[in-house]
Amino acid sequence: MINSTIFMHPATWFLMGAFFLPVFKRMGLMKVVLVAVPLIAFFQIQWLPESFGQVSYLGFDLVFGRVDPLTRVFLHVFTLMALIGCIYGLHVKETGQHIAAFLYVAGSLGVTLCGDYLTLFIFWELMAVASTFLIWYRKKKRSVQAGYRYLLVHVAGGLILLAGIFLRYKNVHDLSFVRIAVEGATVADYLIMIGFMLNAAVPPIHAWLPDAYPEASVTGAVFMCAFTTKTAVYVLARAFPGFEALAILGAVMTLYGVGYAVVENDARRILAYHIVSQVGYMVCGVGIGTAMSVNGACAHAYAHIIYKALLFMGAGAVLEMTGKSKLNELGGLYKRMPWAMIFTVIGGISISGFPLTSGFISKSMIIAAAGESHRTVLMLMMTLASVGTFLSVGIKLPYFIWFGKDSGVPAKEAPWNMNLGMAIAAFLCFFMGVYPEYLYKMLPFPVSYHPYTAYHLSETLQLMGFTGLGFYIMVKKLTPAPKMNLDLDWFYRKGAGVFMWIASRPVDAVNNWANQVYRTVGFKMTLAFARALSWFDWEGIDWVIDGSARGVVKGGDKLRTFMTGKIQHYIGGAVAITFIVLILVLLV
Amino acid sequence: MKRILEYLNKHSQVLKRLFFAFLLVTVAYDFFVKRHGTHFFGDLIMGFWSVFGILGCLGMIVVCKGLSHVWLEKEEDYYDK
Repeated sequence: MINSTIFMHPATWFLMGAFFLPVFKRMGLMKVVLVAVPLIAFFQIQWLPESFGQVSYLGFDLVFGRVDPLTRVFLHVFTLMALIGCIYGLHVKETGQHIAAFLYVAGSLGVTLCGDYLTLFIFWELMAVASTFLIWYRKKKRSVQAGYRYLLVHVAGGLILLAGIFLRYKNVHDLSFVRIAVEGATVADYLIMIGFMLNAAVPPIHAWLPDAYPEASVTGAVFMCAFTTKTAVYVLARAFPGFEALAILGAVMTLYGVGYAVVENDARRILAYHIVSQVGYMVCGVGIGTAMSVNGACAHAYAHIIYKALLFMGAGAVLEMTGKSKLNELGGLYKRMPWAMIFTVIGGISISGFPLTSGFISKSMIIAAAGESHRTVLMLMMTLASVGTFLSVGIKLPYFIWFGKDSGVPAKEAPWNMNLGMAIAAFLCFFMGVYPEYLYKMLPFPVSYHPYTAYHLSETLQLMGFTGLGFYIMVKKLTPAPKMNLDLDWFYRKGAGVFMWIASRPVDAVNNWANQVYRTVGFKMTLAFARALSWFDWEGIDWVIDGSARGVVKGGDKLRTFMTGKIQHYIGGAVAITFIVLILVLLV
Repeated sequence: MKRILEYLNKHSQVLKRLFFAFLLVTVAYDFFVKRHGTHFFGDLIMGFWSVFGILGCLGMIVVCKGLSHVWLEKEEDYYDK
């Protein structure tokens, strides 16, 4: 059965593509495969049956394919994003980077399609490992270090998830990956949720994201910004809609991320922090848990993947062409890279939710859902975060890269494939903004929301206009400086330093000292002790037994076999002797 | 493309005036707009989102930049030391 359905799974194409990519490269077909595989997957997912690929393994029912409206919208955007990302990365010659990207996408599709926790866990870990290589392929010392930290954090998160899965199996004897009710959620369910939240970069377990993404390779970051966090949003929307913790943490996330985006200097770190903020809207939407808010979370995930990838592609193009990504080293690039400038500005206004762009029709859905559920505080927090979004990514980022003071950095237009990738994403940003039905009819619940009302337009234009005024007043305060800001990764980065210091200084010193002592004193003592034992063997026992020659030899032999040097033998011997003594005492 | 941008750059004063005119229009528009689906008191106040926008923006800059300056900001090689 599995043979006939294995090619139904879109991840299969990516896995096979990854496996045979070196062969295709030899044949000169690598670029063809890089476009063909996501294209096949993109069309194939439209025809998936409701359920496929059920396998019984070791008494577990594994489900590789479970398709419902929630799955479809995420599959749609994941395969579309894979296509855009592959076009953007066509010029990359290293096969390894493409293989890592393909495996990463395969992991993400596998998680989206799976119907049980074991399958989920396997694909979950595939994602973590494959994406680590996307960081390492930057091949800088910093990215190697960041990659190790990223991997360690995700392995820890995976273990928490696995612990939750085991405990859940112990509790309910069922591994199917379905919605968990708020009432009666146990520790097991919360462990699973923490595992998911780590990938969604929910504070305080978010610091891996702004730590790792800015260090990833140019194309790697484009893939990473789309898949890890949004797969996490999908699994949260699948299992935990309506959990209050998600609603509150999501709203906190929106402000936390945007706050750092306002002060950071590195373009890709600003965008990475801004992922935290944007995913916050989705997490909050899932947490509110109404049909409208979950719809909004899905719509925002779709729109966000496209425009955030667009922004990462723009910042990546600048990094690729100039070797710089820090705002204080850039400026005035509009003369030299006008196309990249236009695309990035489109990404910036889309993420800020300008009318006629995708942000306007997706983000507002979550905010309106919060309002309709009478969650005024959450609503205002998210609105404030969208002010910060426009400030940091809508104005500050484009201003200091493309306009502002001309840095004189030499640059050329990016290669055609990079511009094509950006153009497709930019087109989609407008397409969804002008034609929201395209997105709305994919959503898991029927949509009654209309974004283009007069009042919503008025609200958005006022917010954006006066945020612009705020920037205009404070532009001098926002001039970027070559600094970095501490975040919660301090605890494990400096903590690891403390651990290493203890390991290298005191522990190592004690270890060396003990070695010295052993070499000078211990060795001699051991020899002396051995001599003493052998003396006891002969002289002591001879004296104790005080018997015939036969008895001496026999007893000595017996004891010698005891002296095997193995602790369990000594303990066993001691127990046996105690036993004999006890019997003697009792009998006599 | 480049020429358009350089033209705009030269006439930044015009842009600035247009921007302020746009702000006035947005606030004026809010007085005439039909309100439905109101969620809380702010939705009923004319120009509420203008005030929210400017105060939110300035407040965010002051708070974030302030926190950064007094506490979080470090040299770029902070973790390499």
